This record gives sequence, C-alpha cells and structure tokens, in this order.
Amino acid sequence: MLALITRRLMTAIPTLLVIILGSFFLMRLAPGGPFDGERPLDPETRAALQKAYGLDQPLWEQAWLYLSRLVQGDFGPSLVYRDFTVSELIAQGLPISLTLGGLAIVLALMIGVTAGLFAAVRAGKTADQTIMMAATVATALPTFVTGPALALFFGLWLGLLPVSGTDEGLSWLIMPVVALALPVSGAIAKLTRAGLATVLKQDHIRTARARGLSETKILFKHGLRPALVPVASYLGPAAAGLLTGAVVVETVFGLPGLGRYFVQGALNRDYPLVLGVVTLYAALIILFNLFADLVYGWLDPRMREG
Amino acid sequence: MLKPRFPLVVVLAIIVLALVLPFLLPWTYDQIDWDAVRAPAFSGAHIFGTDEIGRDRLARLAAGTRITLMVAIAAALVSLVVGIAWGATAGWIGGRVDEAMMRIVDGLYALPFMFIVILLMVVFGRSILLVFVGIGLVEWLTMARVVRGQVMALKQRPFILAAEAAGTPSRMIMLRHILPNIAGVALAYLMLTVPQVVMVESFLSFLGLGVQEPLTSLGILVKEGADDMDMTPLGLALPGGLLVMLLVCLTIEGERLRDRFS
Amino acid sequence: MSLYEIRNMAVTIAGQRLVEDVSLTVEAGQCTALIGASGSGKSLTCLTPFGLTRGVAMGSMVLDGIDLGSADAARTREARCRITGFIFQQPLTALTPHLTVGAQLQEATMQAGAARPSLRELVRQLERVGLSRADERLDQFPHRLSGGERQRVMIAAAIAHDPKLLVADEPTSALDASLRAEIMGLLDQLRAEKGLGLLLVSHDLASVEGHADQLVVMDRGRVVERGPASKVLSDAREDYTRRLIAATPRLQEVAPKLSRPGEILLETRGLGVTFDRPGWRRGKIQALADASLIIRQRESLAIVGGSGSGKSTIGRGITGIGPVTEGEILWRGTMLPERRQRSLDMRRLIQPVFQDPVASLDPQWRVQDIVVEPLRNLRPGLTTAEYHEMARVALTDVDLAEEFLARWPASLSGGQAQRVAIARAIIASPQLLVLDEATSALDPLVGAGILELLLRLQSENGLSLLFITHDIAAARRLCHRIAVMEDGRIVETGAMQEVIDDPAHPATQKLISAS
Repeated sequence: MLALITRRLMTAIPTLLVIILGSFFLMRLAPGGPFDGERPLDPETRAALQKAYGLDQPLWEQAWLYLSRLVQGDFGPSLVYRDFTVSELIAQGLPISLTLGGLAIVLALMIGVTAGLFAAVRAGKTADQTIMMAATVATALPTFVTGPALALFFGLWLGLLPVSGTDEGLSWLIMPVVALALPVSGAIAKLTRAGLATVLKQDHIRTARARGLSETKILFKHGLRPALVPVASYLGPAAAGLLTGAVVVETVFGLPGLGRYFVQGALNRDYPLVLGVVTLYAALIILFNLFADLVYGWLDPRMREG
Repeated sequence: MLKPRFPLVVVLAIIVLALVLPFLLPWTYDQIDWDAVRAPAFSGAHIFGTDEIGRDRLARLAAGTRITLMVAIAAALVSLVVGIAWGATAGWIGGRVDEAMMRIVDGLYALPFMFIVILLMVVFGRSILLVFVGIGLVEWLTMARVVRGQVMALKQRPFILAAEAAGTPSRMIMLRHILPNIAGVALAYLMLTVPQVVMVESFLSFLGLGVQEPLTSLGILVKEGADDMDMTPLGLALPGGLLVMLLVCLTIEGERLRDRFS
Repeated sequence: MSLYEIRNMAVTIAGQRLVEDVSLTVEAGQCTALIGASGSGKSLTCLTPFGLTRGVAMGSMVLDGIDLGSADAARTREARCRITGFIFQQPLTALTPHLTVGAQLQEATMQAGAARPSLRELVRQLERVGLSRADERLDQFPHRLSGGERQRVMIAAAIAHDPKLLVADEPTSALDASLRAEIMGLLDQLRAEKGLGLLLVSHDLASVEGHADQLVVMDRGRVVERGPASKVLSDAREDYTRRLIAATPRLQEVAPKLSRPGEILLETRGLGVTFDRPGWRRGKIQALADASLIIRQRESLAIVGGSGSGKSTIGRGITGIGPVTEGEILWRGTMLPERRQRSLDMRRLIQPVFQDPVASLDPQWRVQDIVVEPLRNLRPGLTTAEYHEMARVALTDVDLAEEFLARWPASLSGGQAQRVAIARAIIASPQLLVLDEATSALDPLVGAGILELLLRLQSENGLSLLFITHDIAAARRLCHRIAVMEDGRIVETGAMQEVIDDPAHPATQKLISAS
C-alpha cells in the first residue's frame, strides 16, 4: 500500500511540473500581452509596468523565478485585479469551489449508488429500465443547460431559490450543486448497476448462495464491494469533470469561485492567475486520483500491491 | 423490438433535418427579418419565432446542429485515429515502450484537460480548426487505452501465434488479424466519443471560446438562450432540449454497440 | 434408506428440457461419481435440486428425508445451509476476493447456526485439509494462495458446518495432475472420517477411478448406465460407456504400436528462457533452464509436467513463437536462428497446435482462409481456385468435409476446430508438429479421435510430434519417449514404458501416481 502511494506521488511531481511549465510557456508565447488592452499605453508606462512585473527578462529566468516563488506558496500578483495577489484570489475562490465540488460528489454518490443498487436488485423489471433510462438522460445533461434551466424554473418563475450570489444563508448552494451532481450521479448509477449485475453472475456469489446465506447478506457482504470497483475508478475522471462543470455553474450563478476567476483570467491574459488556478486544479485532481486509488485498494485487495 | 432502434432513428432524423432544412426555409440562419423581431412561436411564417435580433429560430437551430455535429464527428475521428495509432502501437510492441506510452496516457488522463484546451484557445486564437484538433486531442486517451487493452489481449491469443508460425509478417498480422478484431470495439467507442465531444464543444462555445461568430453552434444557441431566458424561455428550451436529446440518443446507441462487442 | 436419492428427475431451463429421466443414489460414507462429456447435463443434475442454477427440477429428489422437489425456496435454502456442502470447479473465482480466508471460513462454520468459532478451531479446520501455516493463511486474501491451496480452503469451508452430503462439481479439473491425486485422496479421507456422502461430478473417468463406489454415466441429458463402479468399469453394458472407457487413457492399458523413428531431426542444447519480472519489480524469472533434448524423424516425444514446469515455454521456443535467451536449437545439425530471424522456409518445418481450438482460429476469418494462410505466405502467387483446392485437400486429410471451408470458427465444435487447426498446421508439409496440450480442453471421446488422427498423420506423412501435456496416460498412447519437467528443468528422460515402469525422479513418481 505504501509503495503504491509513494509511486503515485513520484509520478505526480513530474506531471505537475510539466503542467506548470507547459502552461507557463504557452501563455508567454501567445501573441499579445496583458497590457494590450483596449487603451494602448504609452511606451514609457508600459516599459515600467513590464519591468515591475518582471516581464522584460528572458523566459527561462522568468520560469525559474516563478517556480522558486511557487514553492514558497507565492503565486505572484494578479495582473488584472491589481489590488490582489493570486494567492489571495485563490483563498477567496477555493472554498467556494471546493464546497460546490465536494457536496456535488457526495450527493452524486448517494443518489447514484442507491439508484444503481435498487435497479440491479430488480434487474430486468420495469423499475430497473426506468431508472437506467433516467440515469442515461442525466449523463447527457450538460451543466450549462441544467444550470440556466434550474435558475429559470426555481429562481425566476417560482422564486424559491436565489439566482446569483452567495448571500442568503446556504440556499444559494442548492441549485448549483444539483446541476453539478446530476450527470455524475447518472454515470455512477449506471456503473453501480452494471458492476453489480456482473458481480452477481460470478462464482463466489454462487458459493455464498450454496452456503445458504440470505440474498440480502449475499448482496451486501459478498457483492457490493467488487461491484463498486468501477465506481472507484470513475472517481478520478469524475473529479475532473466536476471541476470543469464548476466553471460553468459559477459563471451561470454568478458565484465567485475559482472557475470564474480562471475564465476571466484566460480571457484577460492574467498569466499568474491562470497559472495559479491550473496548478491548483492539477494538484487537486492528482490528490483525488490518489484517494480514488486507495478506495479501490480497499474494495479489491488484489490491487493493493499495485 | 422498436425500443433499441428508436434512438438511432432519432439521431438520423435530426441529421437529415439539419441538412435539409436550409433548402426548405426562405431564411438563412443569420438573416435578419426586420419586421418580425422577437416573434413568438407559431405566430406567422417563423415556426418557432425569431430571436431578439429577428433571426429565425428554426434556421438557427438547424445551422447550430450542423456545425455542432460537424465538429463532433471530425473531432471524434481525430480521436479515433490518434487513439488507435497510439494504443495499437503500445499494445503490439509491448514491454518498455508500452509502459512509457501508457504512463504518458495515465499522466495526461489526470490533467484537467478542459483547462489546457481553454488555454490553447486563448493562446492560439479561436480558429475552428483548433476547435476540431483541440477537442479530438481531449478524447483520444480513452480510445488509446481501450485499443491498447484489446491489442494486448489479442496478442497472446493462439491464432496470432499461429499466424506468426505460418510466416505472416508483423505488418500483415496487424492489418489482417488485429485490426479486424478491434474494429467493433473501436466503432462502439467512436459512437460514445461523439456525445462527449458535443459536450466539450458546447461547453467551449458557451464560454465564448469555441465556434465563433458568424457561425453558430448548439452551445452558442444555449448561451444566447440562457442570457435571454427571462424574456423568452423558448430560446433556451429549444437548443437545450435538442442538445440533450441528441446526446441521450447517441449515448444509448453507443452503449448498445459497446455491450455487443465486449 | 439412501442418504440422497434422485428418481426420474428432469431439468428445464426456459421451457427446454435439458435433463431427462435421471436417477441416482448416494449412500452415507460412499462416493457416487457422475461422469459425462460437457453438455451432458451433469452439473445441472447435481446443482438444480438445490436451486443453484437457472433451471427448474421436477421429479423425486429426497435428501435425508426432505423432498427437494416440493420444497419452497426457504426450505431449499435450509437444505443447502444445514445438510449440504458444495465444492466448485474454479478455486480462483469461487472464493470472495475481498474477504480474508478466515472471514469466509468463519462464515461457513456459522452458516448452520453454530456459534462463532475460535481461532484455534479455524486453524484446526485448515490443518485437517492439509494446509500448512494455517494461522498465516487465515489472514490472507484468496488471491495470495495457489490453486491447490484455495481448493483446500473450499473443502474446509464446505465441511465446516458438518454437512451430511458433499456435492463436488469438477473439483479437480482446474488443478494440476499431481494435485488431483492429493485432493481426491483428501476427499476420500474426509468421507471415511465423517461418514459423508459424496456426489462427485467429473468429465474425466480416469480421475474418479479408485475413488468412486457408484458410477453414473450421462450423455446428452440422460443416464446411459449406472451401477457399482468396479462392475461398470470392467463389464460395461452400454456401447457409449464402453467407448468412453476405451477413450480414456490409462497407464495399465495395452501399449500402442508406434512407428519406427529415423535419424535426428531436432536437437536442443542447454536451452533457457529468462525474462524480467513484469511491472516495477526487479529481478528475473527463469521459465526454462538448461533444457536439452532430441527428436528423431517419425518419432513422438512427450513433454510432461505440471503448470509452471516450463513445458509450454520450451514448445514455443522450439516453434519460434516464444523467446529463447540461452542455448541453441539445431535442425539436422544446422543452427536455427531465434524467433524473429527465422525464414519462411524454416518456419514451415515446425508448426504449432494449441490447447484452445477455437481461440487458435481468427474469429473474423473463414476456415478456408485460416487453413491456407501458411501457404499464402510460402507461395503467394497462386490463384484463388488453387488455394481453394489445397484447402479442400487439407481438410480431407483431417476428415472434414468440403462444406467446412465456408464456415466461421464460432460455428465449429471443439473437435472440429482442432481438426481445422491441424489442417492449417500440416498444409505446408512440416516435419515437426508441436502440440501444446492439444487434447486437454476436449471431451474424452473427441480427444481420443484427435489422438488417432495424429497417429495416422504420423505414419502417413512421416511427421515427428512434440506432445506437451500434463496427462502421462494420454502421452503413452502416442509417444515413443518422454521428458519430464519440473520448475523449468528437464528432470528425467527416457523411453516411455521404461520411465513409467521405473520412475527415478520424485516429480515423475507424483505424475504417475496421479494417473
């Protein structure tokens, strides 16, 4: 187990480095810079700004400087939100994005696994087919369709939930989290049901049945854990999907999370902000993948050796 | 039974309509009808009404579907070609080469690819070519993994060894023995990639980073609809509904194929 | 009264009658063996009354006074959990992968309502079935144990709740030859100790000889013959039974008349295969070491050993489809280059036949193209008609009609597919055929037919055969000489009958005693 974790971390660090440096050079190589805004600046002010932000030095030196500051936790100043450093912006936005994502995945797991189990136990019957059709539809619901749709229905028409902003207690969370969780819960439901259907045909279930155990016991003690293995493998890509979904949801509902900062930063060429967010997201996903691996190992002991 | 075939029929119907409608309607998708701005549905010549600048909704829907599907199929094909090439090579050569190639895939899999694509869009401008390539590059990883798994499994099958013993050169083995046996699975995953790509393209367009004006896509239509939804919810419901239906039908058919070949 | 008695039982699945009019008895303390080819309905017969298959059983099935035929699901479950224990074929998949051995054994002990067993009791249970280091095993997961060890765990779990009847569905088919004898011996022991009745299912007559008291022979869903084992074996009434007995190779039968070998064809000197451990682990695995053997013209050499002994590795190395890292292979005195460097002419001389016939044919190709492939490589310029004719002739050599040319592999039976594979192997006139467990996956009657075919081809075409197998008795029917392998090395060679009469190496002795 420890070997697995160490190995994962070893591959994580170079991956992260590649991402950071890759994004760094990409942004720098792009035509135009952060100061090519709508109002062109006079050469003097521009040169001064460039010097202040270190943009006049050779690329390699900039990269090195960035990395060394990064290791100390300093992401640099935001080029567009002049009064803030990137770290501060991240500190503002991260909790919101994490809450959204975290709640969404918990909700998705709860709905998905229950629905999948329910359907698997009634395999072939109407309940099973209905649930699976609903799950397929759910996976095809992009967040940028459900988000506005929910906002329209519950927010504007019924006036039940806030359409934007984060005031009014916790009710602002409901619609964004639901919009985020829907497609993931559909995928999890399908994976759970498929996983269980496969497992229930396997030999060790027959052995358990031969021992005269009750069907419930067989399901939960012998069937559930291997059935959840595909769900565990899905958790990694699910996290990645949630992050991108969060971008949409934050934009649609006007929430000041990381996703929205990223889009703004990308559109305005705010290099440090974009780099900071990309780095953070990549690190989060790598961590989450590691966590998913650990869950996988618990579910299926054969995986523990890696 | 009718049920399994029904989604395929729907998809084909949508494609046919999207291709044929421009010849049936008197307006193009960007033509402005000054006399009928914000016309409600079924109120006159415009079946679904017009949007806030007077463009016919149905024509825009058809145009958006065409572009979205075009991008999706092209990108899916890119992912198919790259994925098969990568996966088959890694699986066939095996050993260290395979380990290295798949380690790269694993690393890339963990990336927030969407962000990289967005970065690329921002950096290199918003050409439709980049949209194709960019999206295709996001989706090839799954195809590569699946193909590599299949090829590795096939490589050990006795009929491949028998072919080698019979003196068939490696190239021919790959062409005549391996590829025909992975065609089914590749096709199934291709079908499943298309909805993924549609989602990505729509997502990018929604953020303003995908297909650009004057072209339109389902994603752009959804964005316009969402911006305007308090006035005319139809503007969101139409493209949104069509998008969802398209995705659901493609996914159902793709999964049916995948189950057939696994 | 018998412990378990079945009378006129029929089994239906989805409206189709798959088993008809079956009767058998199992006495306490005795073993009734149910023999038949795959598809004969034997597994359905023993598992359906207990509700373990998709089928429905009708008729009289009385176990210890309980009528299983009229029992509802709850009573059937009770019968399973209190009175019966089950052992299945594939130890690899029959144990739950995410629960430790101890947890599963505990569950098995408690299934009839007994109290939670102590650690010492669990250890004792494992020791009784012959597992060493029992206390360690309890904490391990099933995938850490070998196949034989897992089967012992299964047996321990099956008897843990003190059942009266043990139902074993092909308990040794997936195991090594040498393990088979041990497991069967273990079952005999337990039977005697506890007065268990054993209902044993097998497709291999040889493995139940000496262990069964009653024999029941099934074919296509019906009982062909039944009675005391000794009587059935010595004096079978039905034709099918007699054919089955004749088809099953036994060491005691009459020695075959084999062709006379000529000069040396193939020689290996110090052949070895080493490769790196897969994945991250360091170190090398030595699959084959220092293997030296000789094959003559028109001679059949048997290579016999358990799994992991290296027999497949040496076969592949010789054929040129597997790696060779040390040593050399000589063909009529000239060195054969290693795998990728062999020319077409060299390849054509040595051809393989594999264990799984259907998997050795490309599912996307028709038989026509499959059979002709070696020829297409060797003589690419011929017309379609010429290829077709050569394919037809090749099929005739293996006793298959011309209409098979247009068939797909999926539509062939095991025996037919193996004949196609042999046709492909001989079409380019090779001089050595390397057969890797070519009859192991086939039913005994079908396998016997293939062995006869091989004998005929050897005498007609002057072929040499390298017959790799775990079944010494089958090898004896075909081969002049034998090489025994263990752990990657050849541990004994010699003329067939001499080695069998007087085995020197313990590995050989184990293999012989298992037959």
